[in-house]
Amino acid sequence: MELVEAAVALKGAIALVGYGLAAIGPGIGIGIVVGNAIQAMVRQPEMAAMARTNMFLGIAFTEALALIGFVLFFIA
Amino acid sequence: MDELVLASADCDPARDIICAPSNVLELFELPRIFSIGGFDVNRTVLLTFLAMGIVLFVLWWGLRDRGSLVPTKFGAAVEGIVNFVRNEVAIDIIGPEGARYAPYLLSVFMLVIIGNLFEVTPLVNFPITSRMALPLFLSVVTWIIFVSVGFATNGIRYFTDLLWPKAVPLALRPLVGLIEVVSTFILRPITLAVRLFANLVAGHLMLSLLLASGYIFLVDVFDIGFRSAIGLAWFGFGLGIYVFEIVVAVLQAYIFTLLSAVYVQSSVHPEH
Repeated sequence: MELVEAAVALKGAIALVGYGLAAIGPGIGIGIVVGNAIQAMVRQPEMAAMARTNMFLGIAFTEALALIGFVLFFIA
Repeated sequence: MDELVLASADCDPARDIICAPSNVLELFELPRIFSIGGFDVNRTVLLTFLAMGIVLFVLWWGLRDRGSLVPTKFGAAVEGIVNFVRNEVAIDIIGPEGARYAPYLLSVFMLVIIGNLFEVTPLVNFPITSRMALPLFLSVVTWIIFVSVGFATNGIRYFTDLLWPKAVPLALRPLVGLIEVVSTFILRPITLAVRLFANLVAGHLMLSLLLASGYIFLVDVFDIGFRSAIGLAWFGFGLGIYVFEIVVAVLQAYIFTLLSAVYVQSSVHPEH
């Protein structure tokens, strides 16, 4: 019986760790996307609008991974 | 107030650090208010109809005196939104023929932004886009539009070019083709819906947990004494997140519209 309770407690903890792992990659990815977009905007202010649109697109695609991890945290 | 009741039911401010309901799904599955002929109506349904009404009313009220030369202040603001979606999203992303899709993108943008802003509207405080039904329906409509546009403009080559991409080396074509087909027809609608849904779920969770905890700790100040200072921290943190969530609500509506436009664009000009 104790084993079952321990396994249930472990299940929640593992989902938490899984979400933490899922957040690492997108965190780094969004940093790279935004950093490079800012560089592009500063170097060529006349193309800032295009860089901003594409920055949001890049963030959206990268962020999806973290959000799927977030949803799986509740499903698990 | 549902959240407060839920969170306070199994929370002891004298012992716990934060008040969380044992099952957070209760924050999203709202109880039925009444039912019409077998259809149960809860707050989410009412808010969805309210959002539709607000969108229709704002567009009608803002653009009702188009004949006069000088628009009203409100009319100018609505024109700004319409211009933004039409020029910055539809035409910039899709190209000159993007104006055809501007009405759809504008309706999606308005409905999603109103639905998202319900999250931070006092007395409403529930984003209708945090129930999967609405984002999934909108992304299925986008899927139908971009797939049918792809087949209408390129015929069967829309599918065969995805399945057998001529631009990559021969050995890699089956692999890349498989990835492209799966990502275009299956992953795109799912991620489009999940992105909006998960953002709003996360926002609503954070707001309700933090603000409800802050409230419960602060009103119990006579029972628990100095421990209610914890509530001050949660309340301050919650107010910071509140401002952040306003940005998220607008940004996610923009991203949903932008990605819908990008998907349509990739069907109109598949070679790019």
